[in-house]
Amino acid sequence: MDAKIKETLLNPIFKGNPITVLVLGICSSLAVTVELKGALVMAVSVIIVTGLSNLILSILRNTIPNRVRIIVQLVVVALLVILVDQILKAFAYPVEKQLSVYIGLIITNCIVMGRIEAFALGNKPFASLLDGLANGAGYGLILVIVAFFRELLGSGTLLGMRIIPESFYEAGYMNNGLVILPPMALILIGCIIWVQRSIQKDLQEK
Amino acid sequence: MTMNTNGNIYTIVYSAIIVILVAAILAFASSALKPMQDANIKAETISQMLDAAGIQEKGTAASNEEILDKYAENIEAAFAIDTNGVVTGTLSIARDNIELIDGLKAQNKNIKDKKDAKLPVYKFKNGTTVIPIYGGGLWGPVWGYVAFNSDLKTIAGAYFDHESETPGLGAKIKDDPAFRALFKGKVADFTAKPAFAIVKGAKGDHEVDAITGATMTSKGLSGAIGTWFKAYAPFFNKNVEE
Repeated sequence: MDAKIKETLLNPIFKGNPITVLVLGICSSLAVTVELKGALVMAVSVIIVTGLSNLILSILRNTIPNRVRIIVQLVVVALLVILVDQILKAFAYPVEKQLSVYIGLIITNCIVMGRIEAFALGNKPFASLLDGLANGAGYGLILVIVAFFRELLGSGTLLGMRIIPESFYEAGYMNNGLVILPPMALILIGCIIWVQRSIQKDLQEK
Repeated sequence: MTMNTNGNIYTIVYSAIIVILVAAILAFASSALKPMQDANIKAETISQMLDAAGIQEKGTAASNEEILDKYAENIEAAFAIDTNGVVTGTLSIARDNIELIDGLKAQNKNIKDKKDAKLPVYKFKNGTTVIPIYGGGLWGPVWGYVAFNSDLKTIAGAYFDHESETPGLGAKIKDDPAFRALFKGKVADFTAKPAFAIVKGAKGDHEVDAITGATMTSKGLSGAIGTWFKAYAPFFNKNVEE
């Protein structure tokens, strides 16, 4: 049993990462990774939403009428997303203002619905909660890695603090404007997938 | 007891219960969090005015309390006027009871319908007078605060914000310091129509250059400035003569 819990928790972080292996949730990972702070808030929000939606729907799984199950899932996910948005609005207003569009889009994040359909509807609540949290974390991990490089190379800062010293700029160093734009995020994610596939040989197509 | 979870009645009742439950939770959360959200919005509004008046640098992150303190320290007077330039009421500037006129959207409608508008004027101790503007951009509302020097003509600074303008294009009214810097030192002519405009190829003191690739946002902002400056014109003209 312990081995199974470990597997549920660790698999989505690396071996079955939702972004790099399942290639879900790409859209939002391009949009919110310009700054590390936004990526962190987004990561936490998605972890909460995937975890709780998996838990709630797993508890309800035997009562949900099969014909309207997608709608029921959507209602629950939408509820959680709006709650997260409202709470951020009350306690982290500047971040919410910057991210509000993307927080709303968590509803359409394929990872959330994907995990509910694939896992929560067929497993016990506790295991579903873990699966949701772990998948959110796997998503968040990639987000943070991408945001780290984008903020460092694009703005020379991390979490808003200057990392690259002023003397570098005086010596002719310039921030890379391309890294700020979404295409570079896609290339960065490509690089991460490349690294992962070279480590994990079984992902490579023959 | 096993229920047929695929029957029509079950499905309808189940859906209804879920939806009512979710609605109740959301209504509760919304009313519980409202006071905190309003406080955040108020602090942000004040912060934008302080930016426009040149009292604080844009981007200096401050807590709500710090912003309220700063406002209380720097404000000299705040009052409401109507579109004839007559002062109709004062706004409290006490630290613990700062009154603002928000709901600029409603006032914008009043101005357009030529009804009784309640327009705020904020005078700061550094000699600047701050007034709001509001109008429609490309995707949603645009608004902002314009600060005038003590001659009530020369623009000391401006702050603009928007709800959903295109990032990188229309959003520059907020994000691009260079655009806001264009307003500094320009002069509004409250006897002319419009008093001030954003145009392509700006000439003279009463115009600034529009943003490339954001024609509709620039036009919207220009219209907002035109409408609101016109509404304030009687007040400004009166006080300049004195």
